[in-house]
Amino acid sequence: MSTLLHSAPTSSPSFSRIITPRFAFAPITRISLRNGVRSKAIEAVKLENGRPSASEFVVSGSGNAIPSYVVAPNARVQDLVNRNDTRLRIFSGTANPALAQEIACYLGLELGKIKIKRFADGEIYVQLQESVRGCDVFLVQPTCPPANENLMELLIMIDACRRASAKNITAVIPYFGYARADRKTQGRESIAAKLVANLITEAGANRVLACDLHSGQSMGYFDIPVDHVYGQPVILDYLASKTICSDDLVVVSPDVGGVARARAFAKKLSDAPLAIVDKRRHGHNVAEVMNLIGDVRGKVAVMVDDMIDTAGTIAKGAALLHQEGAREVYACTTHAVFSPPAIERLSSGLFQEVIITNTIPVAEQNYFPQLTVLSVANLLGETVWRVHDDCSGGIEPYSSLGID
Amino acid sequence: MSTLLHSASTSSPSFSQITTPRFAPITRISLRNGVRCKAIEAVNLENGRPSASEFLVSGSGNAIPRYVVAPNTRIQDLVNRNDTRLRIFSGTANPALAQEIACYLGLELGKTKIKRFADGEIYVQLQESVRGCDVFLVQPTCPPANENLMELLIMIDACRRASAKNITAVIPYFGYARADRKTQGRESIAAKLVANLITEAGANRVLACDLHSGQSMGYFDIPVDHVYGQSVILDYLASKTICSDDLVVVSPDVGGVARARAFAKKLSDAPLAIVDKRRHGHNVAEVMNLIGDVRGKVAVMVDDMIDTAGTIAKGAALLHQEGAREVYACTTHAVFSPPAIERLSSGLFQEVIITNTIPVAEQNYFPQLTVLSVANLLGETVWRVHDDCSGGIEPYSSLGID
Repeated sequence: MSTLLHSAPTSSPSFSRIITPRFAFAPITRISLRNGVRSKAIEAVKLENGRPSASEFVVSGSGNAIPSYVVAPNARVQDLVNRNDTRLRIFSGTANPALAQEIACYLGLELGKIKIKRFADGEIYVQLQESVRGCDVFLVQPTCPPANENLMELLIMIDACRRASAKNITAVIPYFGYARADRKTQGRESIAAKLVANLITEAGANRVLACDLHSGQSMGYFDIPVDHVYGQPVILDYLASKTICSDDLVVVSPDVGGVARARAFAKKLSDAPLAIVDKRRHGHNVAEVMNLIGDVRGKVAVMVDDMIDTAGTIAKGAALLHQEGAREVYACTTHAVFSPPAIERLSSGLFQEVIITNTIPVAEQNYFPQLTVLSVANLLGETVWRVHDDCSGGIEPYSSLGID
Repeated sequence: MSTLLHSASTSSPSFSQITTPRFAPITRISLRNGVRCKAIEAVNLENGRPSASEFLVSGSGNAIPRYVVAPNTRIQDLVNRNDTRLRIFSGTANPALAQEIACYLGLELGKTKIKRFADGEIYVQLQESVRGCDVFLVQPTCPPANENLMELLIMIDACRRASAKNITAVIPYFGYARADRKTQGRESIAAKLVANLITEAGANRVLACDLHSGQSMGYFDIPVDHVYGQSVILDYLASKTICSDDLVVVSPDVGGVARARAFAKKLSDAPLAIVDKRRHGHNVAEVMNLIGDVRGKVAVMVDDMIDTAGTIAKGAALLHQEGAREVYACTTHAVFSPPAIERLSSGLFQEVIITNTIPVAEQNYFPQLTVLSVANLLGETVWRVHDDCSGGIEPYSSLGID
């Protein structure tokens, strides 16, 4: 049984009908001062439906929650709250436990206990350490490198939940590996993104919550509902807090495939102008810059992409921008895959700042001075809550979530 | 039984092993231009069987074969048995294209009865046996999209229930292709739905031309061969000898930059420009600015389809404003919803180059319009699907199928 955090007033409890919005995520127009590896905040979490408000707790930088316990004076109330709350369970795989912990804290829950280990031959073993019968289970696991290990772990977690009689299983995939394998570029290729979608469905997932899929069409590969949220508002919020003069901004797409994404970004950044790096690539993970379409002379160039892998594309693009007279170059991306030699390229002085989110954890040795890591925990946590509570994100100020 | 076209020499027939390529490679300059291809072609059957007679494909699309009685019943029997495995049927959406494809393959179109009852329901009956056959159904799902789609589904179901061995849906234009993602909440992904419907109806394969996004292949759980009309258009542009230093390839919107760039690479690595328009509603376009430079150049606008022509017309106006000398529009699918014809014929374009994936109604012709044929492209692909051989060998790698 997961621990319930709650407190009681000195008088007998009243069931208030006032609902306080849970959404702690700042809308785009508000300047957020949050910046760092993980969000550090003191938050008051109120339970829905008029039940007593929970205690305050501090989310520390290390991700540990330190709750204060208060014994409920009324067993009936405790029983009611226990029964309702245990329906929502969040479990983490081993790929990004810190993000999962942040999401759970946002929701005022403890992460569910789970045992994940590898046998000597590399096979993965998963056992849930608590009952999930009849529960709405959310499994947080990006399939970042090592992609096949993390994917298999997710599939086994899904299967374990299904066989443990979970009522609903939602795969929360902050980074969807194989997302770039979304089409046949030559004959006799697989469409691995479609294959992975089929595998997740076959394992028993009822829903998927994904963040910044490489192409919007990949939602169509699933035969189950997909909620697709974007890291873009988190990054826009941060950029707005830096007060770069909007007349100085040019949004740049580092390749032709990402022009639509960069353009959406530019519209939200005070309708900034757009430029495109037209590179002509001759092999996988090898980039070659040819020319710039548009003008960046004297401007602050904000390069926008969904991910940085080896950083070849974005580094050569940045070099071209400097060559074309850009005053400063920022790199903004949701997913920091950072395959070698990304760190060397990104920290070489080409970038004023490299802004990423924590969909993929950044290893300690991969930090460099220009790096800024924003958190998508509140974004994902709010979406998890709305999926669980069966309510929409369509009402202002929550429409920025982009789910329906 | 479909009619077999063949001839016999005066001496006893020899089984030649020489195979003649059927598809002209891109590098050859094609002089073909017009509503339908007009050509005299010699069709050699594969596998060393006697070569077929010559026949003329007239402008009206009728084949006028010359029949020659085979001197040897055994050979006729052999050829008959093998050839009847491949059958091509047409829906009502584009029978002229289907006829051209059948002629390319040296076949008659299969006979089929398609009619509509008074209440609008569609009735399909095959007029010949398809038991054990490899059936290709040619039907673009162009407007009226739902009628043509339902007709295709019923044709597929009819073939399945008639014990066809393999059913391939040949869809030169895939309606609902643009509905390939959720742009807002609570929307369908209709392209995925249509893919599911075609599979559920009983199709074993799909042959499609210029899907709006390459990812749409992944919506199908059956094999999809995806060919591009680009090679047909490039071939034609090469024959016009526009000086390559003068060319700029332009994408009319940000979504099509990848397509335009692939086009530019094949057009002597031409430079690229993009029209950045900011649209505020479906089928309503608004031009904001041009990224790149077209002053004094010949601008070739590339898109996969022209619907109401709003995007491409406003883009062309912007290009003229920015100093382009001439503007060409190149597109595979000519949907031509109103008011496309008025916009395209208003003088903005030197030439509008389309293919015949969707038939163009007689009243929609205008002087700048050029219609190229994809019949040979699709016919060659049909043959290779049927014969289980690849398009990977030169000079056929341009087909892009595997």
